[in-house]
Amino acid sequence: MAEKKELSFEESLLKLEEIVKKLESGEVPLDDAIKEFNEAMVLAKNCDQKLKNAEEAITKIVNSDGSIEDFKIEE
Amino acid sequence: MNDKYITVTQLTRYIKYKIDNDVNLNEVFLKGEISNFKAHSRGHYYFTIKDESSRINAIMFASATKKVKFIPQDGMKVLVTGKISVFEANGGYQIYVNDMLEDGVGNLYIAYEQLKKRLETEGLFRQELKKKIKKIPTRVGVVTAPTGAAIKDIVSTIKRRWPLVEIYLFPSLVQGENAKDDIAKQIEIANSFDLDTLIVGRGGGSIEDLWAFNEEIVARAIFNSNIPVISAVGHEVDFTIADFVADLRAPTPTGAAELAVPQISDVANYLNQLKIRLSKTIQHKLKIEKQKLIEITDRYIFKNPINIYQIKEQQFTSLIDRLKYSSISLINAKEKKLLTIKNSYVITKPFSMVDNKSNKYLQLISKLETLSPLQTIKRGYSIAKRDGKVISSVKDVKTKDKLDLSLMDGEIKVEVL
Repeated sequence: MAEKKELSFEESLLKLEEIVKKLESGEVPLDDAIKEFNEAMVLAKNCDQKLKNAEEAITKIVNSDGSIEDFKIEE
Repeated sequence: MNDKYITVTQLTRYIKYKIDNDVNLNEVFLKGEISNFKAHSRGHYYFTIKDESSRINAIMFASATKKVKFIPQDGMKVLVTGKISVFEANGGYQIYVNDMLEDGVGNLYIAYEQLKKRLETEGLFRQELKKKIKKIPTRVGVVTAPTGAAIKDIVSTIKRRWPLVEIYLFPSLVQGENAKDDIAKQIEIANSFDLDTLIVGRGGGSIEDLWAFNEEIVARAIFNSNIPVISAVGHEVDFTIADFVADLRAPTPTGAAELAVPQISDVANYLNQLKIRLSKTIQHKLKIEKQKLIEITDRYIFKNPINIYQIKEQQFTSLIDRLKYSSISLINAKEKKLLTIKNSYVITKPFSMVDNKSNKYLQLISKLETLSPLQTIKRGYSIAKRDGKVISSVKDVKTKDKLDLSLMDGEIKVEVL
């Protein structure tokens, strides 16, 4: 299961959520649980990182000719 | 005979009952001209609606008049909706108005109602067809005017709440004759982008200003969008066809932005909760596994070795005890011996031996004394010696020999005659 692209924040969070729920069900063997736990920790760290590094939302305008430019609100 | 006659009240009630139960009279769309308009201080409107040949009394209660967006005047042409009922006190029937629009605008209203009914019948508003709005989108599209309050509100709200998103603006006309086609086209273009959510809308305005969002082409563009659409047209009170078709209706553009993206602090909190749950669950898991391990090691095979060990331990202990005991008894024996020696006569009374000897000595001395010649001498005997030799026979001496006589208290020199 090779990851083609970096997971989006939502995908990471959903996956993290899924693992937590799975582990909470208590039906995962210990070895797998530890593996899953480690994966979840990586996901959580990634999410943390993204939250911390969040800057300003990028705003683009798609012009009628199809070109895309940065968009600035006119005050 | 009097039984045939009924009271006025009974008649009025009967008529009221008949009218109230007539489906056609329960919701009436009526157009006409206002006359005799009176606004009551408590907010109710009393007026008459008339045309060239007829008139009807109308009453609009304060709860309904609040929604009226113009000030009614005599002579004004209006479209009203309401129900017909009877006011028992004067026996007059009248229309209880719950909505009133200016005519002209009223034509739009009719068109709106017709389109709404048609699209609803077609199934465009069906709840089960609504797409879910992503809670945490990566890219959000906005179809609205590139200037004005709406885009400003949307962008600033999104930036404030969730800066991890990309916003794509598809600029569009939002009012005027060409707005409807432009909006529809931009919704279509937006669908060629990889967007999670699309906001379609504009800021507040008159009903004519908002009209593009009541057009069929816009409604169908929204319905056909593969990207979930949040509608955001005008203010809280404005309901457009677009609102009914959209997957989610926001009361305002700001509201749309709030529905489109989460609040960053909420997400951070949730993330923390997940982390706490994660570590709790793994700790719990480890505890359970440990417990299992303990249960197993407490059982069969593992219990015996402990017994064996205990037996060995016991043997070992007894050996040690014996060793201890034997060494102690050995020491005791030696100690006893030592004690006997220590307690022996010689050691405890070393002088008694000397005393014994000295007694013996004294006895010997007294014996010696009895044998001593000195005693004999004391009794008057004397010892004759010549040249130091004791003379015990007369044969030992000759005449003229000079002898020494030892007496008790001295010696005398004598000559043998």
